[in-house]
Amino acid sequence: MSTPIRRRAIVAVGAMLAIAAAWFAFAASQSTSTATGASLKPALTGAGENLYNGKKGGTLTVYDSEDFLHLDPGESYFVLDYEVMFATQMPLFEYKPNNSTTLSPMLASGPAVISNGGKTVTVHIKPNVHFSPPVNRAVTTADVAYAIERGANPNVANPYFAPYFGDIVGAAKATGGPISGIVTPNSTTIIFHLTAPTADLLVNALSLPLSMPVPKSYAAPLDAKKPTQYGTSQEVFTGPYMLKSDATGKFLGIGYNPGKNAILVRNPNWNPSTDWQPAYLNQININIGGSSEVIGQQVLKGSDSVQNDTPTNTNVELAYTSYYNQLVAVPGSGDHYVALNNAHGILKNVNVRRALYAALDRAEMVKVAGGTIVGQVATHFITPGAAGYAQSGGDAGPKVPWNEHPSGDLALAQSYMKAAGYPSGKYTGSQVIKLVGSNNGNGPEQSAILKNAFTALGFNVHVANVDQSAMYGKYCGVVAAEIDACPEVGWQRDFADPQSILYVPFYGPAIVPTNNSNWGQVNDPAINAAMVKAADTVGSAASAAAWAKVDDMLVQQAVAIPWIFDTQPNIESANVRGINALWNVGSWDYAFTSLK
Amino acid sequence: MTSYIVRRLLWGVLLLIMVIFVTFLVYFLLPSTDPAILRAGRDASPSVIAAIRRDLGLNHSIIVQFWNYLTGIVFHLNFGYSYYYNDPVGGLILNRLPATLSLTVGAAILWVIVGIPIGIISAIKRRTFLDRASMGIALVFVSAPVFWLGLIALFLLANDIGRFHVFLGSGSYVGLTTNPWRWFQSLILPWMVLSATQCAIYARLVRGSLLQVMGEDYIRTARAKGLPERTVILKHGMRSAVGPLVTVLGLDIASLLGGAILTETVFSIPGIGRLQIDAIGHGDLTIIQGTVVIAAIFIIIANILVDIAYAFLDPRVRYE
Repeated sequence: MSTPIRRRAIVAVGAMLAIAAAWFAFAASQSTSTATGASLKPALTGAGENLYNGKKGGTLTVYDSEDFLHLDPGESYFVLDYEVMFATQMPLFEYKPNNSTTLSPMLASGPAVISNGGKTVTVHIKPNVHFSPPVNRAVTTADVAYAIERGANPNVANPYFAPYFGDIVGAAKATGGPISGIVTPNSTTIIFHLTAPTADLLVNALSLPLSMPVPKSYAAPLDAKKPTQYGTSQEVFTGPYMLKSDATGKFLGIGYNPGKNAILVRNPNWNPSTDWQPAYLNQININIGGSSEVIGQQVLKGSDSVQNDTPTNTNVELAYTSYYNQLVAVPGSGDHYVALNNAHGILKNVNVRRALYAALDRAEMVKVAGGTIVGQVATHFITPGAAGYAQSGGDAGPKVPWNEHPSGDLALAQSYMKAAGYPSGKYTGSQVIKLVGSNNGNGPEQSAILKNAFTALGFNVHVANVDQSAMYGKYCGVVAAEIDACPEVGWQRDFADPQSILYVPFYGPAIVPTNNSNWGQVNDPAINAAMVKAADTVGSAASAAAWAKVDDMLVQQAVAIPWIFDTQPNIESANVRGINALWNVGSWDYAFTSLK
Repeated sequence: MTSYIVRRLLWGVLLLIMVIFVTFLVYFLLPSTDPAILRAGRDASPSVIAAIRRDLGLNHSIIVQFWNYLTGIVFHLNFGYSYYYNDPVGGLILNRLPATLSLTVGAAILWVIVGIPIGIISAIKRRTFLDRASMGIALVFVSAPVFWLGLIALFLLANDIGRFHVFLGSGSYVGLTTNPWRWFQSLILPWMVLSATQCAIYARLVRGSLLQVMGEDYIRTARAKGLPERTVILKHGMRSAVGPLVTVLGLDIASLLGGAILTETVFSIPGIGRLQIDAIGHGDLTIIQGTVVIAAIFIIIANILVDIAYAFLDPRVRYE
């Protein structure tokens, strides 16, 4: 290459680099986080919305980049599964979509009757609810009993059987056969005898899919398979809709094609007089898979459709600016917090935990997650909408100094480090903090914010961001892994009772070596005792107050650092009158949603 | 020739066993969740997890589990069990194969019938505007990520979210047997996107090979004998230039049959690629193992076929 040509080439390359740099600088200056500012227009919340007066008929298309986990009421424990479960089956009790605190009888004919000092629960069911074909007959309480009993069958392996149904007499040793504490004196009455006065908890748990009736004669042969094939290949339904099935009840390959689609059609045996759900739609087509970016645009610009999974930030921003009436931000009934290891290493020291709590920029973590459209800074563990939220401080939370600075206060944090025995206000020991976060979404950024808080207090930190399932299953949920901090663990309440929020993640005796959901291994005798007392407290108001006290103790001890009360952004087409279930992470309720 | 093919097949089987072993090892070495816990779900008690571990055979030693896995594949075409889908992996892959096959074969036909002529024209019109323009455009497509290209194509040409409503958009795929016409329509855009990059690569490859071949003595001889230029190029030039192309084509098709992850994701085509990406998202390692093994099988078979094809395409190649 001759010199002039080389010089020209260098100039050309330099010019291109300069243009690229200028473009990057411009693009960076133009990019803004989605709807993070304080001037955000108030979003629709779904609370108090009118559930009725929808238009009957039509087909709704649901776009969903994720697939279901389980469509068996005995196994189902996932938001997307619940959408189908609660549209196709009738549990004993259910929350109405705009009310996440008051249970309404669904299959039950009235409220549960608690007696014997909270140790007996009696429920009567409606006599004229029928199973879908091919079973067709009326539902009896024996079907409800079998539905619960099969939860203990290892082939079904219901994930919440032990914590919520474990107090039923005989449940502790159950493996799928009859449980002595469940009695059905006639076809419309079921009685639960408990070993402890935990009737309130059980009644709340009867709103979960495990209480949806399952006919033994039809399901038992399928339950004998490992794992059960009930809900995998075939099933019968009691709700207004059912998965499109053949004459034998088989839906696999017909109404559900894994990874492809699901089709909900009307249940021919559903009787509207037995149900308070209007079931406006004729059919719901669920398209599984695809890019969330594309799906969001299809919904916003198209018709008759909703996006089921969380829209991308770009699409939320597009909806916010151009399709505002198609965007709904619903309180999500869950929270995320930083799990701190209370059982191992330096974080056993309560003042070190308080220091970290004070130092952490929780507001920045919320901003990184997507801003006010996806949540608000959390100040305690009981989530908005659940009983006990107001008693434990409401939005402000318990009044302790380390909880009063959402953006972090380093001086305050250092004062707790001094109280922990570090006169300089900085850690001088040799422990390297093991921090495990998620590599999904903005997980790495959340890890970085937490790491900054640690390093500001003098810690050396080793960060590993892994797949979310590995984060829980291999590290944060494994006691022997001795992970010091997990920045992004989340908890979704199962029902409005605060016990379903606090018990599993913070009750010491519930710690198990693996698959542990008490990620911080919190095992404080005073907190444990307060939980036992709260669990045995009879009466809703007294129970809420008792759990609020537990919540306060958790913040006092800084056992973990709550940083976001979740909000779920949802988008719908202009002609869809979407109804979101406040109790189910704000997801779509197909039995109430209609077309305009 | 026969002994060569037998030898290659035996090597292929050995290679496949090695691939199975490596993917199986990854299952244990990767920082992923215990499959029994995945199956059991949140809050499951240790006794339930232990029962599931027994049922799935996860309580055996790694050697025994590998032996069971290997014999399962060899003798029963059993690729294990998906903890996420609650289904045998083999059935899931088989169920997704038609979509991936439709996408790959259609795209391959497109990139061959478009890419090769562009390469030939570019070579015979060397240093003309046509050559520079086609190679410039090829460079753009080679550099464009498929995911980005897919989104641009949808935002421009899809009938639902596109600026111009021309082709069916994302999520419109139906099986060939369900509705052949809609199957064809739904794949036009994915075919175009998937073939765009490959087309550009093939055009550059053909141009390079042809330019090299066209300078050979035997081409000059062919011209001196008065053969028409078309015959010189297509019969004598391309016959030699096509060799490297066949190698790349075989491997490209085989690797896409193992899953065109990005294209299938953008266009919501329920193929093996989407099965893979979903499995990665859920830590469902048995599916990842299964799809890797399937991809390896395709690539090994393609390699053998390419080697055999060489003998027919190039008279100089003889296998002893």
